[in-house]
Amino acid sequence: MSQGMLIDSTRCIGCRSCQAACKSWNCLPSVQTTFTETGSNPRYLSSNTFTRIIFREVVRPEGEIGWYFVKRQCMHCNDPACASVCPVGALRKNENGPVTYDDSKCIGCRYCLMACPFQIPKFQWESAVPLVRKCTFCADRLAIGLSPSCAATCPTQAILFGEKSDLLKDAWQRIEARPDKYVPQVYGEKTAGGTSMLYLTSVPFDQLGLESVGFRTDLADVPYGLHGREWMSKVPFIAVVAGGLALGLTKFNERRNRVKATKEE
Amino acid sequence: MAEDKKISLGRIILFAVVAVGGICGLARLVLGLGATTNLSDAYPWGLWISFDVLTGVALASGGFIMTAVIYMFNLKKYRPLLRPAKLSALLGYLMFMAGLFFDLGMPWRIWHPLIMWNPQSVLFEVSWCVMLYTTVLGLDVFIFALERWRAENWVRFFRNIYVLLIVAGIVLSTLHQSSLGALYLLLPEKMSDLWSTQAIGVLFFVSAIAGGLGVIALESLISSRVYGRKPEMVILSDLAKGMAVIMLVYFVIKVVDVSIRGVTIWELNWTHLLFHAELFIALVLPVLLLILPKVRNTSSGLFCSASLATFWVALTRFNVSLTSYAGYRHASYFPSFVEIAVTVALFALGILIFDLGVRYLPIYEQDNPASG
Repeated sequence: MSQGMLIDSTRCIGCRSCQAACKSWNCLPSVQTTFTETGSNPRYLSSNTFTRIIFREVVRPEGEIGWYFVKRQCMHCNDPACASVCPVGALRKNENGPVTYDDSKCIGCRYCLMACPFQIPKFQWESAVPLVRKCTFCADRLAIGLSPSCAATCPTQAILFGEKSDLLKDAWQRIEARPDKYVPQVYGEKTAGGTSMLYLTSVPFDQLGLESVGFRTDLADVPYGLHGREWMSKVPFIAVVAGGLALGLTKFNERRNRVKATKEE
Repeated sequence: MAEDKKISLGRIILFAVVAVGGICGLARLVLGLGATTNLSDAYPWGLWISFDVLTGVALASGGFIMTAVIYMFNLKKYRPLLRPAKLSALLGYLMFMAGLFFDLGMPWRIWHPLIMWNPQSVLFEVSWCVMLYTTVLGLDVFIFALERWRAENWVRFFRNIYVLLIVAGIVLSTLHQSSLGALYLLLPEKMSDLWSTQAIGVLFFVSAIAGGLGVIALESLISSRVYGRKPEMVILSDLAKGMAVIMLVYFVIKVVDVSIRGVTIWELNWTHLLFHAELFIALVLPVLLLILPKVRNTSSGLFCSASLATFWVALTRFNVSLTSYAGYRHASYFPSFVEIAVTVALFALGILIFDLGVRYLPIYEQDNPASG
């Protein structure tokens, strides 16, 4: 039912054709590139860049230098924090996987930017009529039976699109087959309550210095919207207690003052 | 006459500030947030959220607190403070809404939460509470206007249903004052341990009470000076005592909270220094000052300690919403001229309207006919 993508970063060659395909399908303008330490470009995700490949150069324990490429885009959480916090319900998890955004509802409060544990939603700051933008999991392509444009274009099958449960099985088979090659963990299987994007890596994300650029390794296995929902479940009780106290004490005092007044007379 | 001149000079300055802010606000609406503010994907929420929304709402809590003090806790001696507190609370909420209007990406959709619901969102609850509570405050002040117009029947009608307004005001305020803190329950991984806590709702509520009391004291002292009345020193100093007690309650909750969670408090960096400033200077100093009867019973001493206390409330909000993120974001943020100008202008506009309200509505009249 629910679809996902398995991103096997060990297969990625850093060609960035997924970035180009994403821009092309979503009609996003290209942005000015900058010189970076490693060659990743553009430097950040933005309302015009829904996906990018992060390049990382890390010295392996054996002493040789290793190159790593990690694709970043919306994780499409099973129970997304962004959808949970949106006051108007503009963001929504679809049954088949994508977390989508309704342009016509958004008021531009940017709570989703604050709440996303992966720092994914981006805002059209330059516009006077700004919307939130992020990877849509090509929901429009899925609707007509196509695979997401990044997965369709990847030349090395580093991005596999399919049924999420199948992909998860596939991921663990790969880990079991080549324990020397993979970190025995599927990032996204449980992270933040589970996501539709599943990652295989040969080095843990924190060793790549990615824990502060979207691939946090300290995230709990619960959906982050939970904290807000727990609070909201207490709200009716607080309301009843505060209302009861206010009504009871006010009425009590009213009566007491009236009795006192008549006594004084 | 000299007094009048002084006031009108003040008024000219306020109008000038409002005019500059108005132009900046217009620029913001035409050119967009990116061109006029220093907000970015790294800092989606800035000065307008920290000050206009979080601090503003906390400091405007006076209306509901005086209602609770007088009707719930039957402390009738504070009655003279009720009406000005309600008027300034209403203006506080209207100014906060205006601030939010500029902050929202698409302010013309500000009404969307009315018909587009997401009951699991804390922000959805806050928007509803704030809308309803501003209506309650609006009705409160409308009753003052009815008194002025001598619409006796209507005044009587509202007096009969007044208990509804009291209860609604207290419930709605309790909810949104604490829920504004609960907005930050969802971001534990981005916030500094010093402020990321399950107790944040309670802490916001308690500090909002102190902030409301501080503003009532300040507003009463300033307006008695401006309008040439004698300040109600006896009740104001008792009010300040209450404020100091509330601040101590906050102190205890906060200390227990950080010790239970085992947070490292003693470190030397900006985040920790601002935490120390919040808890050990801005909170402790006014409390210590208020212990001295000499300070508490003079208008200048009271003014200083109440100013410090409101500054402390503002600092708690800035620390939660901005300082707390400094270690997480790779960018830094300082508000742009437009952001500051709009904020200052809204503050000035609030003062101007308050002045108008005091002159045209029965705010300071003692022994009011209606209970309002």
